[in-house]
Amino acid sequence: MTMKVSFSLNGEPVETDAEPRELLVDVLRDRLGRTGTHAGCEQGSCGACTILVDGHSVRSCLMLAAQVEGCDVVTIEGIGSPEGLHPLQRAMSEHHGLQCGFCTPGVVLSAIELLETHPDPSRSEIERWMSGSICRCTGYSGIVDAVSAAARGRVR
Amino acid sequence: MTDTATAPRTDTADPGAGPASGDDAGNGVRRTEDTRFLTGQGNYLGDIHRPDLRHVAILRSTQPHARIRSIDTTGAMVLPGVLAVFTGEELAASSGRFHHHLPLIPTLRQIQWSVMAVDKVIFVGEPIAAVVAENRYIAEDALELIAVEYEDLPPVVDPEAALEPGSPLVYDDWPDNIFLYIPGSHGDVDGAFASADGVLRERFVHHRVSGLPLEGHGALGEFDPARGRLTLHASTQSPHMLRTTICEVTGLSEAQVRVIAPDMGGGFGVKNHFMREEALVALIAMRVHYPVVWQQDRFEHLAAGIHSREQIHEAEVAYRADGRVLGLRVRIVADVGSPEIYMMGCAPSVVTTGVLPNTYDLPNYAFELQCVVTNKCPIGGYRGFGQPQAIFTIERLMDMLADRLGMDPVEVRRVNLIADDALPYTTVTGAVLDTGSFNEQLDELLEAVDYRALKEQVAAERAEGRLVGLGIAQMVEPTAPNLHALAGQYGGFEMCMLTMQPDGRVTVHVGTKSQGQGHETIYAGLAAGVLGVAPGDVEVHDGDTAVLPYGMGTWGSRSAVMGGGAVVKAAEQVRDKMIAIAAAMLGAEPGAVELAEGMFRVGEAAVPVAQIASAAYLHTFLLPPGMDPGLSVVVGYDPGNTSPFPDEQGKLNVAATYATAAAAAVVEVSPNDGTVTVRDLTLVHDCGRVIDQFILDGQIRGAIAQAVGATFYEELRYDDGGQPLTTTLLDYTVPGFGDVPETRIIHRETPSALIGGFRGAGEGAIIVTPPALAAAVGDALRETGVTINQANLGPQHLRRMLREQGVSVDPLAAAG
Amino acid sequence: MKPGRFEYVAARSVAEAVDALGAAEAGSVLAGGQSLVPLLNLRLARPDVIVDVNRIPELEAAGRGNGAARFGALYRQRWLESLSVPAESAPLLAEAAALIGHVPIRNRGTIGGSLAHADPASELPAALVALEGEVTVEGPAGARRIPASELFVGPLTTSIEPGELLTAVEVPAHVEGDGAAFVEFARRHGDFAVAGVAVALHRDAGGACTRARAAGCGLGPTPVDLSGAVAGLVGQSGLDDDRLRELAAAVAAGVDPPDDVHGSSDYRRELAQVLLVRGLRTAWARAERGR
Repeated sequence: MTMKVSFSLNGEPVETDAEPRELLVDVLRDRLGRTGTHAGCEQGSCGACTILVDGHSVRSCLMLAAQVEGCDVVTIEGIGSPEGLHPLQRAMSEHHGLQCGFCTPGVVLSAIELLETHPDPSRSEIERWMSGSICRCTGYSGIVDAVSAAARGRVR
Repeated sequence: MTDTATAPRTDTADPGAGPASGDDAGNGVRRTEDTRFLTGQGNYLGDIHRPDLRHVAILRSTQPHARIRSIDTTGAMVLPGVLAVFTGEELAASSGRFHHHLPLIPTLRQIQWSVMAVDKVIFVGEPIAAVVAENRYIAEDALELIAVEYEDLPPVVDPEAALEPGSPLVYDDWPDNIFLYIPGSHGDVDGAFASADGVLRERFVHHRVSGLPLEGHGALGEFDPARGRLTLHASTQSPHMLRTTICEVTGLSEAQVRVIAPDMGGGFGVKNHFMREEALVALIAMRVHYPVVWQQDRFEHLAAGIHSREQIHEAEVAYRADGRVLGLRVRIVADVGSPEIYMMGCAPSVVTTGVLPNTYDLPNYAFELQCVVTNKCPIGGYRGFGQPQAIFTIERLMDMLADRLGMDPVEVRRVNLIADDALPYTTVTGAVLDTGSFNEQLDELLEAVDYRALKEQVAAERAEGRLVGLGIAQMVEPTAPNLHALAGQYGGFEMCMLTMQPDGRVTVHVGTKSQGQGHETIYAGLAAGVLGVAPGDVEVHDGDTAVLPYGMGTWGSRSAVMGGGAVVKAAEQVRDKMIAIAAAMLGAEPGAVELAEGMFRVGEAAVPVAQIASAAYLHTFLLPPGMDPGLSVVVGYDPGNTSPFPDEQGKLNVAATYATAAAAAVVEVSPNDGTVTVRDLTLVHDCGRVIDQFILDGQIRGAIAQAVGATFYEELRYDDGGQPLTTTLLDYTVPGFGDVPETRIIHRETPSALIGGFRGAGEGAIIVTPPALAAAVGDALRETGVTINQANLGPQHLRRMLREQGVSVDPLAAAG
Repeated sequence: MKPGRFEYVAARSVAEAVDALGAAEAGSVLAGGQSLVPLLNLRLARPDVIVDVNRIPELEAAGRGNGAARFGALYRQRWLESLSVPAESAPLLAEAAALIGHVPIRNRGTIGGSLAHADPASELPAALVALEGEVTVEGPAGARRIPASELFVGPLTTSIEPGELLTAVEVPAHVEGDGAAFVEFARRHGDFAVAGVAVALHRDAGGACTRARAAGCGLGPTPVDLSGAVAGLVGQSGLDDDRLRELAAAVAAGVDPPDDVHGSSDYRRELAQVLLVRGLRTAWARAERGR
């Protein structure tokens, strides 16, 4: 039995059908076509599906779509655009903070929450904050460099 | 030499050299692919949308070893939303089977297997039945309604136990559990041992790990019954080779099958196998006439994907009192788990035997390889492909020999390194090493870390009671290999189709397949350098078998060498034709035409590239008489210096060229919890000519992260009954933020003789780092009596080793 | 890896939630969901009804009164580690919460959920035992309080009855002279602890210890009360090395830790000793008055 769920997605109101058991990540991807949010483990362990709900980073594989009724949801599609990248996105490229790109949307959204709450984080603060995201390609140093540079406005 | 700490390379004198700009959208990104990945616009397998897409879920064995007495799918078939249910038996009856394509190896058991288990399962996770449903939720509901009756058989879990007489057999009709047996002996090994001053014996254990790309395997199949055509989208490193296998299983011709590999969330060798599930999706698509998709979930990935590396080495070194190694004997037991995977799971261990002599002049070498089947997940490839085990063992042996003889680890290596004047050097296993000097590489490493001073400092700290150690390691790596001997087909070539479009922009299709390595950026730079256009004017495509005749994919550190070589070769052919056109237009001889900054020049007269391009298609009357229109080529590239099979002495040069690296590590072990802090890690890396140091350093850092993972964090475990214990990312723990040490990378550039001078990159650091870390840990624990003879140096293992030496924890110690 | 079917009820009050749970055959409470939803996805949990309590504002309250710090069950772990009420009134809970998972986990994860889930490797249950806290549950028969010592009965098992909802958590409010510490060894930042120790002490104005409690996670099938091992500290005015060695040895002898992929039983026993001493030293220093 499907239900209706209404929420704000990247600033736009959306209403979608969802079964009670449908995970938020699946509704975003399959029903709403926002495939930038990736499902890497479906157990909350990898961080690829991290999005912002009411300004806070969450695992979209560990929320039911029904739970975001009335919430403000931001996915990677709401952060920058190919023509106008967010400074953090530019910094990620500049510091080689991504290779395959699969973890990248979750990494970016986690870092955006960090930068909004900690304007000048140290490297170890960045590492602790971002520890919920697994990247198998980069060895992380480029990501930490990128977040650090974005925090200090040192981005081209 | 360039140090990464300094500014990026500016050497752009050579055509095709220099960092490319991926700044397509004018947004400042460093790699072309970054724009889409950063904005969520990547197109990974799971992002492919079809309005009538149906989802496949797979019922997998819960038993490690059992006969399937019956499968009842009735409940699943009647569940609303379910389109079809297939069992292994049904599909086996109407499809082809996989095999290893190596009929000529008499010591390899010939087996065939189907897309799913038919009457027996041999590991937990083996596919038994598949459901097709409206969505994955319903498909998984249906799996719960399939009843399987098993007749349990005793499982074989430990590879050495599997070799014992009386062990249960994985295959009833085999006399034992040995899948492949290869003995080899080169030189006079017995003579070397007879004349030695001493013999050092050690046993090494290499644990089971996996590459763990963040995106698992997956496939989406679409069948057009009217035309008999199948399109299979698959997250694969080698789409053309997958197509060949899909044709075998489906019975379709290569002309009827198109394999498309979309953006990939990593691969690391794990996706260079042809998964049963990929063929399963193809077979289902042909039967249900809906597009169908299967996406491997994380449980499936960890329990039934591709595992790697599990080997046990029993090594013996015959040595002279001055440190010279006279002979080496190694007995290798490789656990291949279920052998039902193509390419075969033995392949990495065969490579292990070939590269064990490493950088040393070691003419007397014997090995015995037993590849053993067990009731575990198939073993296959992972970055390094059999080399991490070999180099770990030989480098540990060198350290142990140094200890025994009271020599410095550097000294022992000096005595045995292949001499500079012996290069190019043919190793005892037939590898033709075309590398730079190993001595100079070692010098550069020692100088970079100030080895003598560092050694004294470490010794001084140890004298104060701290468990600090220093270790080094070196390696040579066959790159861009010929696959024939391991896969029974294919080879080592690459293809490229390059088209200069009428507007002067360039389209490149290559047969390699990027999984995140940034190929679009580096190939664009290479083509642009040859053609005199901007990198942003070059569009690079990979992963589509409908466009390019064939390709070998990306693995074996081959893409820069073979893909890059093919791109340069194709670009040169197009450039040469453009020069001929320009010469005609300028009324000069082709030899007088120069290409610079997008202009073909003869003296003061010049024609822009775009004008030549338009002449080739839109104003063909401008072409020289008799010249065919168009500016497009399809090239194959094979340097031709590899062999498909070993010679009668068992020697084989498998690699088009060789890359080298050396590493030094300083670590501190915390005695109370067994954790290791890597204080310093320095790598000297020679992959020939560097195309783009930014991207190269990313590959090296990623490989180091995985080396650190396999050394300190990761192990795939089974219980004694054959049940997998590491089926989530909470149990199989890869390094996270803060777990990977900063590394200093020093580049040597010894060009190869191949196109571009490339040697290949991506794997060196995962091969050379673990033995350097192990050496450092061994040095740190020198006074405790601990011997580091296993690749897993996770904290609980180090604590166990210390405990076994009577070193108990000191709860009052300030640190740890 | 998708959940099976269930009915979803977004309760607006505790009463509504209790009614919905009572009507279910096998109802599950969805709070932060960070433990429940993985189990749903793996189909290891198969509830027929999910009662979502995230829309019950009263469960989010926190405050201090009558010598206790009280947290609504829905109080997020992230608030525990970052807001002033827990920092001032229940610093052990704050320190323990900061060690749970990662920021996106703690943004959702709740104090009540963590306690009700009762993972023996998780931090908050051990902290509750060390603090001798208690929880309030409400069911069809009304509310009752369960002390920490009676709450945890086995791995992922509590004495909360089916149909009951954990609504609040109370611990003695921090007062001057209290010193607490949560220390653990985890393989990576945010992992479940291989072993962890919570310590709660009180020292009087003269510096003498008047109360000493400890509990461990990752050391047994439930949070393990280690207070017996540290009881000898009461009446002491200093932490001398011999005594610490004795306490560590007592802990080593007193625990029977599990053996799994993250650590052998021997390894955990060793960690327990190291962590106990580290925790005691830290808590002891924090209990110093006038700090």
